[in-house]
Amino acid sequence: MAGESMDIEVAEKQLKALEHSEQHYFNSYNHHGIHEEMLKDEVRTRSYMNAIVQNKHIFKDKVVLDVGCGTGILSMFAAKAGAKHVIGVDMSTIIFKAREIVKVNGLSDKITLIQGKMEDRDALPQACWTRCSTPDRYLAKDGLIFPDKATIFVAGIEDGDYKEEKIGFWDNVYGFDYSPLKETALSEPLVDTVEMKAVVTDPTPVLTLDLYKVTPADLAFSCPFDLVARRDDFIHALVAWFDIEFTACHKPVRFSTGPHTKYTHWKQTVFYLKDMLTVQQGEKVECSLHNRPNEKNKRDLDIKVEYRLETQDPNRQAEGTCLYKMC
Amino acid sequence: MAEAYPRSDSESVSSSDNEEDWLNKPGDEDEDEDREQISVVSLLDDKVFPDAPSMLAHCKDKFGFDFLAVRDRLGLDFHGCVRLINFVRRSAKEAAPLPQEITAEHLADDKLLIPVLDDDALIFCLDELPASAPTQAQDKGKAAEKQAAGNGEVPVDELLQKNAQLQAELEQLAKQFTNYRLAVEQTLDKRWGVDEEGEKGAASKAAAPAEPEKKQKDESAYYFESYAHNDIHETMIKDTVRTNAYRDFIYGNKHLFAGKTVLDIGCGTGILSMFCAKAGAARVLAVDNSAILDKARENVFHNKLDGVITCIRGRIEDVTLPVDKVDIIVSEWMGYCLLYEAMLPSVFFARDRYLKPDGLLVPSHASMWIAPVSDAEYLAENVDWWRDVYGFDMKAMQAGQYVDARMTVMPADAVCGEASAFRMLDLHTAKVEDLVFEDPWQTTLSDKAEALDGFLVWFDCFFGESRQEVVEAKLSAKEWAAAGRERVAFTTGPFDTATHWRQGLYLIDKGKAKEIEVGPGKKIVGQIRYAIPDDHARGLNIRLTWGLEGGDKQSQTWLLH
Repeated sequence: MAGESMDIEVAEKQLKALEHSEQHYFNSYNHHGIHEEMLKDEVRTRSYMNAIVQNKHIFKDKVVLDVGCGTGILSMFAAKAGAKHVIGVDMSTIIFKAREIVKVNGLSDKITLIQGKMEDRDALPQACWTRCSTPDRYLAKDGLIFPDKATIFVAGIEDGDYKEEKIGFWDNVYGFDYSPLKETALSEPLVDTVEMKAVVTDPTPVLTLDLYKVTPADLAFSCPFDLVARRDDFIHALVAWFDIEFTACHKPVRFSTGPHTKYTHWKQTVFYLKDMLTVQQGEKVECSLHNRPNEKNKRDLDIKVEYRLETQDPNRQAEGTCLYKMC
Repeated sequence: MAEAYPRSDSESVSSSDNEEDWLNKPGDEDEDEDREQISVVSLLDDKVFPDAPSMLAHCKDKFGFDFLAVRDRLGLDFHGCVRLINFVRRSAKEAAPLPQEITAEHLADDKLLIPVLDDDALIFCLDELPASAPTQAQDKGKAAEKQAAGNGEVPVDELLQKNAQLQAELEQLAKQFTNYRLAVEQTLDKRWGVDEEGEKGAASKAAAPAEPEKKQKDESAYYFESYAHNDIHETMIKDTVRTNAYRDFIYGNKHLFAGKTVLDIGCGTGILSMFCAKAGAARVLAVDNSAILDKARENVFHNKLDGVITCIRGRIEDVTLPVDKVDIIVSEWMGYCLLYEAMLPSVFFARDRYLKPDGLLVPSHASMWIAPVSDAEYLAENVDWWRDVYGFDMKAMQAGQYVDARMTVMPADAVCGEASAFRMLDLHTAKVEDLVFEDPWQTTLSDKAEALDGFLVWFDCFFGESRQEVVEAKLSAKEWAAAGRERVAFTTGPFDTATHWRQGLYLIDKGKAKEIEVGPGKKIVGQIRYAIPDDHARGLNIRLTWGLEGGDKQSQTWLLH
């Protein structure tokens, strides 16, 4: 009974609870910039579009849940592909814009948008299909997840110039020693684009997540892997990226965010090593990657990389451990 | 980067049972329970009734208003009934008499879908009311349907009831959306800040952060936090236009610094303090309220300057300095469009409290500039783009483009008229009041003016060698620097190397603005107003007025948040 007045209060409370810096986001270009960036990422958006609109037979008459729907673009793809109904959920106030967008495109009767955290909503209709990061709760027995497979890759790179610019910079700032900031710089993985020619080792898959089976506990992991040098060169850093697959599609759709392919807004992530490794073709660097959510802030990641270069040459032997914090 | 907005776990998002009510299908078992507890407020006075029929009877008897008759006469559906209820309630609330005969026109306003009464029980028991007297046509249909029902199909009544239920559900959803939008609009337009600030007028707020109120403190905490990370300092230090200017002035004027006591406000990593120490200062006090100060202290130590530089963490207004007066204040306080961040009042505070009467401020002057912009390409890529996103119209995303100033580096040829200097601040004498103003400006359009798309605002910064130095109001950094040997000044404008301040782009909302005739030689005059938003003491609220000389003026306001 008290439904709608409660909703005003809840919405207001949610908005008021936001940090001041976040309050303005609702109508802020500065906040919307991120959505512009994501939409303009053609690799990303086009892959989702192809996975959905080329598979109308899968979406026809289904109920679809869009988790973190943003501007609603994926919900609208699903509606266009014939879904019976789409439920889009997002915590951000972008949901208010999404509602306007859905309305302008005449899809209000097909798409219901809900502001909130996925975890807090127990009242979503029971039978949901497709693209759902909480399959345990809402996904129908034979339901599908779009995408359903993610693989993390790592490679070693020669990145002397840029390491000098980003890390070495702090050794001499207008004639001053800034080494305290160098430590911080080393512990922050750098999100940037890496050129293919910088890649020294074979790209190596480290971890594959099957979204039908993965549990939150699986997101804290330790993976050993070997990087094999393709040529004689130096390794200044490891670079990590991921590939995404929509295996449920009639013709599988996949995209990669690696250095070998087109730019995406995720770019790649570079982990600078304290040492520089000198490798010869065919030599192996034994590595392990440890990842776990930060205890204080679960959205931050604590990452540890261990490496050991196996070589007959005692002068080039190297091993070490680097700690990173990704926030 | 995930599509979902990063949700911090500290956000209090309550998930009460009520919140979920609207998703439950009507017809749930507990619905009857709810009905027993309802109280229906009269449409025309404030009497309360246990159910709708008795209330409607009261209205009919006492006021001669027959709700059911009006409903049947106009053939109102569920929506229509809601409109009618809200129409009558609104009239009663405003003490306006009801029209002789209520017609469909009276109910056309979509605002009538917004409940006048919170939790209007009448709306919830609409489907309990006696059904309308069926018309002949309906009768016929019903008869046919009854026949069908006799043949083993679903009874019509059940279908009708189901239909009513679904309509009610739909209506709930529609209201939900309206309410959300309303809540957000109200919250944004009126309520944020108001609650905590109480009844204090905007004028007293605009005067500056004199009294540290709770809200401002919180906001400042966020502000200081934002300077705790490496990135922002890397960006600032690597802005060579900025850092070189300070370095060149300090190293080029060692005679000014030798043996002096210097105060560095907002020292960050300590770079300016170390310049001063290298230039021969006897003592440098480096003050910052951000956690970066720990790094500054380390930097100072590693560079063996800890004998000269003392790092002090805190707001300049709060800390106790180990000296009573200083000879020089160095500060890099400039924000976007010069005054965003509102750090300058802190520099004024320190100047008035600590600077010797003949002391020097570095920099000494700052000026603000505005120019008209014409850039079709920019608009196509950044504004019109939203109208066709993978075949969908996302014009809703365009609204913010005209609400916020955009910080961007514009190409010089986007500027389509003379730049106009609208305010020069002599920092030795300027006061907090000088930072809230409305100044005139004017420009003559060039041949690049194909259309007037917006305005660009930037600032110049001057490093005078003494308090007596005068910088003429309309002189650009370049002109001033060229006029004296080894003078140091820099601009953040579009005609020179870009800085991390970029420029402030103010796009005209062409949906609202009147188009004005543009072309080479046309003269545009206007005003520019800098104010501080009520709810964000470190933000800016900028209003521009413009029009052809002698013609009509129009204005638009933008936010820097």
